[in-house]
Amino acid sequence: MAGKAFNPFEMAQAQFDKVAEQIGLDEGTRELLRNPLRQFHFSIPVRMDDGTVKVFQGFRVQHNDARGPSKGGIRFHPQETVDTVKALATWMTWKCAVVDIPLGGGKGGVICDPHNLSMREQEQICRGWVRQMAKNVGPLNDVPAPDVMTNSQHMLWMLDEYEQISGYKAPGFITGKPVGMGGSLGRTEATGYGVIYTVREALKEKNIDPATTTASFQGFGNVAQYAIRLYNELGGTVVAVSSWDQGDQTSYTFRKTVGVNIDELLAVTDRFGGIDKAKAKELGYEVLEGGAWIEQDVDILIPAALENQVTGETSKKISDKVKIVAEGANGPTTPEADVELERRGIFVVPDFLANAGGVTCSYFEQVQCNMNYFWTREEVLTKLDEKMTTAFKAVSELSRKKKLYMRDAAYAISINRVAQACKDRGWC
Amino acid sequence: MAEMFNTNERLLKSLEERAKELSCLLEIEELLAQTDAPMDTIFNGVINAIPSGWHYTDHCFARITCQGRQYIPAGRRPTSRSYKAPIEVNDRTEGYVEVYYDNDLEKRSDSLFHEEEKRLLRTIATRLGEFLSRRQLTEILQDRSGNRLDSFTRSGEWRVVVDMLRVTDEELYVRIARKMMTHLSMNGVREVEEVLHRLGSEDSVDVNGNRPMQRSNTYNIMLVSEEIFRIAEENLQDVDSRALIQQWMQEDRAGFLVRTLINLDTSLNDISEAVRRFHHLSLDSLDLPEWTRQGLKVALVRRFLTDQVEFIDIAKKYVEIKDFITLIRKLIHPVSSRGKVGGKSAGLFLANRILKQMSAEYPELTDVRMPKTWYITSDGLHSFLQHNNLEEITEQKYKGLKQVRIEHPHVIQLFKNSRFPSEIIQGLSMALDDFGDGPLIVRSSSLLEDRLGAAFSGKYTSLFLANQGTKRERLEALMDAIAEVYSSTFGSDPIEYRSERGLIDFHEEMGILIQEVVGTRVGDYFLPSFAGVAFSRNEFRWSPRIKREDGLIRLVPGLGTRAVDRLADDYTILVAPGQPGLRVNVTVDETIRYAPRYMDVINLDTNEFETVEAEAFLKEHGAELPAVERLVSKLEDNRLTHTTLLNLDFEQDDFVVTFEGLVHRGPFIKLMQTILRVLEEKMGVPVDIEYASDGKRFYLLQCRPQSNSMEIESTPIPQDIPENAILFTANKFVSNGKVPDITHVVYVDPIKYSEISSHEDLMTVGRVVGQLNSILPKRQFILMGPGRWGSRGDIKLGVNVTYSDINNTAMLIEIAKQKGNYLPDLSFGTHFFQDLVEASIRYLPLYPDDEESVFNESFLLDTENKLPDMLPEYRHLADVVRVINVPEVMEGKVVRVFMNADVDEAVAIFSQRSGQTTSSGLKKRSHWHKDQEDHWRWRMKMVEAIAEQVDTERFGVKALYLFGSTKNGNVLPDSDVDLLVHVDANSRQKKELQAWFDGWSYAMDEINFARTGHRTGGLLDVHMVTDKDIAKNRDYAERINSPTDPAKQIPLGKHKSGIRHGAAPIGTSDVSE
Repeated sequence: MAGKAFNPFEMAQAQFDKVAEQIGLDEGTRELLRNPLRQFHFSIPVRMDDGTVKVFQGFRVQHNDARGPSKGGIRFHPQETVDTVKALATWMTWKCAVVDIPLGGGKGGVICDPHNLSMREQEQICRGWVRQMAKNVGPLNDVPAPDVMTNSQHMLWMLDEYEQISGYKAPGFITGKPVGMGGSLGRTEATGYGVIYTVREALKEKNIDPATTTASFQGFGNVAQYAIRLYNELGGTVVAVSSWDQGDQTSYTFRKTVGVNIDELLAVTDRFGGIDKAKAKELGYEVLEGGAWIEQDVDILIPAALENQVTGETSKKISDKVKIVAEGANGPTTPEADVELERRGIFVVPDFLANAGGVTCSYFEQVQCNMNYFWTREEVLTKLDEKMTTAFKAVSELSRKKKLYMRDAAYAISINRVAQACKDRGWC
Repeated sequence: MAEMFNTNERLLKSLEERAKELSCLLEIEELLAQTDAPMDTIFNGVINAIPSGWHYTDHCFARITCQGRQYIPAGRRPTSRSYKAPIEVNDRTEGYVEVYYDNDLEKRSDSLFHEEEKRLLRTIATRLGEFLSRRQLTEILQDRSGNRLDSFTRSGEWRVVVDMLRVTDEELYVRIARKMMTHLSMNGVREVEEVLHRLGSEDSVDVNGNRPMQRSNTYNIMLVSEEIFRIAEENLQDVDSRALIQQWMQEDRAGFLVRTLINLDTSLNDISEAVRRFHHLSLDSLDLPEWTRQGLKVALVRRFLTDQVEFIDIAKKYVEIKDFITLIRKLIHPVSSRGKVGGKSAGLFLANRILKQMSAEYPELTDVRMPKTWYITSDGLHSFLQHNNLEEITEQKYKGLKQVRIEHPHVIQLFKNSRFPSEIIQGLSMALDDFGDGPLIVRSSSLLEDRLGAAFSGKYTSLFLANQGTKRERLEALMDAIAEVYSSTFGSDPIEYRSERGLIDFHEEMGILIQEVVGTRVGDYFLPSFAGVAFSRNEFRWSPRIKREDGLIRLVPGLGTRAVDRLADDYTILVAPGQPGLRVNVTVDETIRYAPRYMDVINLDTNEFETVEAEAFLKEHGAELPAVERLVSKLEDNRLTHTTLLNLDFEQDDFVVTFEGLVHRGPFIKLMQTILRVLEEKMGVPVDIEYASDGKRFYLLQCRPQSNSMEIESTPIPQDIPENAILFTANKFVSNGKVPDITHVVYVDPIKYSEISSHEDLMTVGRVVGQLNSILPKRQFILMGPGRWGSRGDIKLGVNVTYSDINNTAMLIEIAKQKGNYLPDLSFGTHFFQDLVEASIRYLPLYPDDEESVFNESFLLDTENKLPDMLPEYRHLADVVRVINVPEVMEGKVVRVFMNADVDEAVAIFSQRSGQTTSSGLKKRSHWHKDQEDHWRWRMKMVEAIAEQVDTERFGVKALYLFGSTKNGNVLPDSDVDLLVHVDANSRQKKELQAWFDGWSYAMDEINFARTGHRTGGLLDVHMVTDKDIAKNRDYAERINSPTDPAKQIPLGKHKSGIRHGAAPIGTSDVSE
């Protein structure tokens, strides 16, 4: 009965096995990469506001650090399981490898619900976590970051505790810090810009001038907003954007065939990327139903909102004109849709490559912290462009040479890089 | 001519003389009124004042000889040219006052003193005598508490006092003699028995029955009084007797107030006068015996505040007589008023007194203020009606609600065009002078309001006034507002509300509370920095760590109106003062999403009450708003920081109203906690307060019992229900409420759900629930499912739904079923907690593994599942999602849920319909139209009329069906009518038909508004289906053959087109394509 239940770690393993088979990994390496190198389970006693002591369970999984210090977030979740954490750590390994940054994969968490905790109690959990892990984490060892229900505040508490214990300043211990407190400029734009760097390269390979292209976006959050901005700078025209309407509890697609003006649209958008329907109409936008973004006659589709949006069913509505799907969101495409996209020869920039701008910027944050010298926004973005472009080219080339679907090529390249590092170190 | 001139001159001269005399006398009176000044000062003052009353002032001087002392201006010697008058104290000459002319005056002695002057001197002597007599008495009285007691032990001194009384105040003398007799008798002094016997009252002592007691009259007491005091002298210590007599005399001095208060015929005027006199005599500061004090306080509370025994019992502990002085100064009332200030004012008055008194124990309470407030007594309304001959309006409440509603706008205008009695206008004018030109709020303070069990919250109008302009304009506006508040008594809402609660015949009297609005001027606006309401009991706990006793604060920026009402499009900040660290919204995303978006303010420029967008307002005026740094957090890099004013640039920065600074830094939360705890403890009931702050000071605006105001009362838990009639019970984290008449249960089986392995299927369960939410009857089904509804993280933890997927349920139930040795945490509705609160959807967590609780799993698993019939496309999920039609499987019974937070218990039972279709008691029942039956009946009639009149040929109508609430007969006042029209028509016909229906729809809405006060903008909800739809059973066509709730066909009339073409209702003629 329990065996039937959905297990994210088993899913991650199955995905790995498929690629391992494709690239012909040997048994020993497979065995090593199927499982995390290290798992830490520990107790964090916390004196609560009412004077009682409560003990929280903490985790840290370091899946693989053959290529560099482990990197991955810390989640606060009431029903955190070690299986979820293991799966996410594994995915982090592949994500860092695909953009070729010298970091491994990790993930951690604490079983707790911040809704039931005061800020002081959360601070105690953060500090307790670091006290338990201090020997096994650090700027050259394992670098945490914010994740579900943790934010820059939690990171600062953790950093402070780490520095208290280690006796020296180590801003590179953790990422996701506010600018001015060890954070990096360019962080806000990184993911959205990263998506467009890959789109630009994809168009280049197809010999298409971006200025002649059109695109449709799902979502109008942080990622989409910056992606649209950069895409416009390349000369591209965004025809449609979909956004969630909090009041109506549904999404709408906003269309302007002459091209979306990002600034005018932002002026009628709330902090969650919700576009004011009425005001958009006044600005001359057509308001269509939420799913209409995918049916547009455009060259590029960029799902940048939720998981499972391009499905077996919706992929049938994709116009013949569409040449590229760049996955700004995590897991927007279902396996059934992959089959359809592959059949139609639509070029897919897979999520963990397309949206790797975020993790790359975290890497930059760490690098800047370690040398205690901070770059300008332009420097950060230029370096980001380089990283993303190189990474894209490698995946694309492999895809072409080995006739692999882009997603498979991306996995193949990253798993291969990790496997090679392990081999080079003589681990397997 | 000359003679005439002389006469006039003489007259003038003599008038001048009289004026001199008068001013002299006045001056002396003033001197004598200085009760605290030393005797020498006063007498020296008097001799200096006297010459001014005499004709030859410059040559004149005075001398007083009294009690062996002499008062004379320095350097003066008595001359022979004099006149003197004796000073008599208690009929004994104690001295003289004399007037002399010096020898420089060249006048004959015989004509020196006029008759008037002689009379004046005699008057002065008399006044001096009275003054001395009063002095002596006071000195004796004060000795009791003073230190001079030791030096004042001369035997029999008290007898002097008593003897003096006998001469000066016989009544008091008699009362004291009687009291002394009783005292002696109670202390077993034998001799007094004999006196009693002589008075003939001893037989009344051993009387055991019905014979009336014989009256012993004053005369008799008078006869024996000497004897009584003699006995006292022999039997009591001097000190004791003196103490007793002094005490009795003081009791007696307060007597006039007692007598005034006890007399039911005395008006507020008389009482006010008596209280003022009481205060003037400084009796309050003398220590009256406790019982007299209590008696007076109770009487005052009863006359000014309320008759409610519970209230009086509490009030007498905290209210002082002098407090009423303050109240009286701000009380506006009709001549010979017998009214009170009303519930709201009384509650606030008492709360304020309690807090003041408790501030000794809790120093933080010293900072709590009450805004400047004036009151109009409850009978002001009646006097207003009488003044304008409007008395018959009180019959309004017996009219039909429809008529009331139609007439109400007229009543408002009538009231606004009426005049106020002059004494009220005078009072209001004084009030305005006192208030100045800051904004005011005029609130009702009804005698019915805030009584136990009848909240009336928001039933009567409260109006804000900018109070700007000339005094005349301000007064006009104030009177206008009061008239409008008065007229709200005769509005349909309060009348309906009263009738529901059996209070319709209660003679309605409404007091008015005029309060200054707390706040500061910011730009053209006036507003408090923050305001809100708070409850000493938390009925909406979002974390299991929060206890009811932790209380609840609702906070908003600007006027508190937004915190009082629940708003569909806005949120208030919620804090449990006992657990301020546990916030409803934790992530940055949640905090922003549920932040207050609008603010209520007063626009001083337009004299209007306005709602403005918080962000825009703060961008423009943020820097001027006091304490703004405690209201907002800066949003930067998706991070919220509470920061100092220095770091806030309102024009540039992004910020969110979080109240982070207020809640986590500074004394606000502790203060609120103390206020709520103290008030609940002292008032003996959970309380509900309104408060506001101008950023510097904290003001209490209202205080009333909480049980009245929440509209969600704790429900008695039915006992001794056989286990097979129970669906479930709960005994943890239960809030209050009642959910009657549940016809459908949607159950997501926790075990089956956990076994789903495909992510897609897990997502689909959420979609199924969403669809069921849209087709099941609103508020008549409950959702039960595993773990956390709306889990945004791991979908395994609970069904993935958004608020719109569950917004029609009556109740959201989360089941924490044990898995191995692990009990899943529940969400407590946190994801959409605030939405649930605003929509009043009940939330309940269930722990089926708990041994004490009942969980009827077999009912949930073994009864017929309607899902495959209702949503055939989701048949494959039938073992996960189960839909149970309760009446179908339980012989017509429904599920009713009773929740009681007091005992922390809830139970869901199978029972007969209660006939009440509303949920959680938030919607009101009306007895005016025998509820739904009446709402239903006229809707049915209208539907039949529509079917009768529809021109089938012209519009291509084939059939008409009714479904939804009107068909099922469970109609609420605002229910719409769902019609399904089977058409075979072209688009033009369809448009025309729609227009035809629209005409009916608006007309029916208008009728419904008149009947119920609900306006929905159209009462018909028309859906057209075609043959094709029916064949494919799609859209609404599936209603026709719906397995759960099929639509009912309504027979059509036989109207043909042609002759009636021109007679089609509103709006059809101008339709074109």
